[in-house]
Amino acid sequence: MSVVRRFLRTPEAIAGTIILAALFAMALSASLFFPGDPQAIAGPALLPPFQDWSLPLGTDRLGRDVLAELFHGARTSLAVGLAAAAAALVIGAIVGTLAGFAGGLVDEILMRTTDAFQTVPGFLLALAFVSVVGPSLSVVVMAIALGAWTGPARVARAEVLSIRERDYVAGARVIGMHPLEIAFREVLPNALPPVLALSSVIVAAAILTEAALSFLGLGDPNRVTWGGMIAEGRTVLRTAPFLSIIPGVTLVLTVLGVYLAGEGVVETTAVRRSLS
Amino acid sequence: MNSPLLTVSGLAKRYRRGGKTIAAVDDVSFAIEPGETLALAGPSGSGKSTIARLVLRLIEPDAGRIQFEGDDFLALSGSALRARRARLQMVFQDPLAAFNPRATVARLLDDPLRIHGIASRAERPRRIAALLERVGLNADLAPRAIHEISGGQRQRIAIARAIATNPSLIVLDEAVSALDVSVRGDILNLLLDLQAKERIAYLFISHDLGVVRAIAHRVVILDAGRIAESGDARAVIGAPQSAIGKALVMATPKLHRTTAS
Ligand SMILES: Nc1ncnc2c1ncn2[C@@H]1O[C@H](COP(=O)(O)OP(=O)(O)OP(=O)(O)O)[C@@H](O)[C@H]1O
Ligand SMILES: [Mg+2]
Repeated sequence: MSVVRRFLRTPEAIAGTIILAALFAMALSASLFFPGDPQAIAGPALLPPFQDWSLPLGTDRLGRDVLAELFHGARTSLAVGLAAAAAALVIGAIVGTLAGFAGGLVDEILMRTTDAFQTVPGFLLALAFVSVVGPSLSVVVMAIALGAWTGPARVARAEVLSIRERDYVAGARVIGMHPLEIAFREVLPNALPPVLALSSVIVAAAILTEAALSFLGLGDPNRVTWGGMIAEGRTVLRTAPFLSIIPGVTLVLTVLGVYLAGEGVVETTAVRRSLS
Repeated sequence: MNSPLLTVSGLAKRYRRGGKTIAAVDDVSFAIEPGETLALAGPSGSGKSTIARLVLRLIEPDAGRIQFEGDDFLALSGSALRARRARLQMVFQDPLAAFNPRATVARLLDDPLRIHGIASRAERPRRIAALLERVGLNADLAPRAIHEISGGQRQRIAIARAIATNPSLIVLDEAVSALDVSVRGDILNLLLDLQAKERIAYLFISHDLGVVRAIAHRVVILDAGRIAESGDARAVIGAPQSAIGKALVMATPKLHRTTAS
């Protein structure tokens, strides 16, 4: 496909795609290469990397295999990042569409609610939510989505406001279509492209927020997370800095990869739109 | 059953713009009989489209009454209004803007059949093919996307969509203005043909008096939201009484020549 070729012409997109592919491969193969519990003790404590080839990245303070933790952590990061971003986009698109299409009081109420959420920093919101409800994977996903849906809601509303004045919306009313069907079947799909363009930024931010929550000990305790690994390593930062550096660098690369690939997609679709 | 199909009386719509209120439509009254074509003509900004949107309940009037098929049309709301919309349809000027850019021909024609429960899901493809045939199109156009067909074909699709629910009145706002002259003639003939077969009434909006004379029985000439004159289409266009009517006739070169000779 020429779209794929055009996408792969930008070096950023290639770099992003490679990083993301590696990340997905890690997440998908985690239980293949490391079938056991990644939190089980695998060897002597604080083994440095590249010493023992059965434990290539060494072990942590409790003797757990760092590479196994990294693979299983990729799973958590990706799952939480994608699920939270998807939830934020869905909530934002629905709220924005309803506000923009209904107008009047409904618009006023929904947008003031959006304002309220937006004035509280997303991380504080997530922190408060998880501390109250208790840490588990789905709560962490909800907590992150709670702070991330306002951007998509605003973009969706702005787009819907311009689309609802088009003739084809009047045409849908003339044939007697129900307002909800007009909003979600006629208007929303055409309002989506600029909303979806936000997704890479939201996924990247969600992965970072998840890491930060885990770092503070508010991640799902039954799962390995990169943030949790960094927090673990912090206690032995001077004697074994690699325990914090390895998951830290992985985290940075992941966020960079998501962002670069997302930029590539936006650029490709922008080119395609200007061509047509 | 000798009452008009549509009676509009004392219709008014004002817009506020920059502190000033302008009367887009001011005390407009007219009636349309079943199977009749009434043209609304007038210069740009005279309120033609506003009247169309008021009649279709796309916007609400500030004053006036609309009787449609014997009922108070302005009193309807919600599902009762949506159900009644089957009888009162519209064709827009720009057929590309009037359709969801993602839609296929089949979906555009499927919508009214589904919404008004006119045909079962299994029966609809056949009904869609029949509709396409009624407007002179090939049934194999159905799976095409709306941007994959020509402007003339698109306007035929718009007409097919409008007649899908067996309306008694279709409002056509500049429905042929965007089309090539040759295509325009074909579409006008299609409209005349449908009217002869099914006694559909048209509220036909145009600033082109040549087209009006070809299709309309009666004409209402608007000026700045008010009715300047009205009457039999040929009589009014042949001998306009109002200043705006005279100006419109003068501005239609072909017509001017034919009426002068
Ligand atoms: N939504 C609106 N807000 C403010 N003013 C409006 C609005 N719609 C129409 N008007 C004004 O109302 C008047 C009548 O407009 P309308 O569109 O009905 O004219 P028209 O006869 O259809 O003109 P044209 O031949 O150019 O289509 C114009 O002065 C127009 O600027
Ligand atoms: Mg107009």
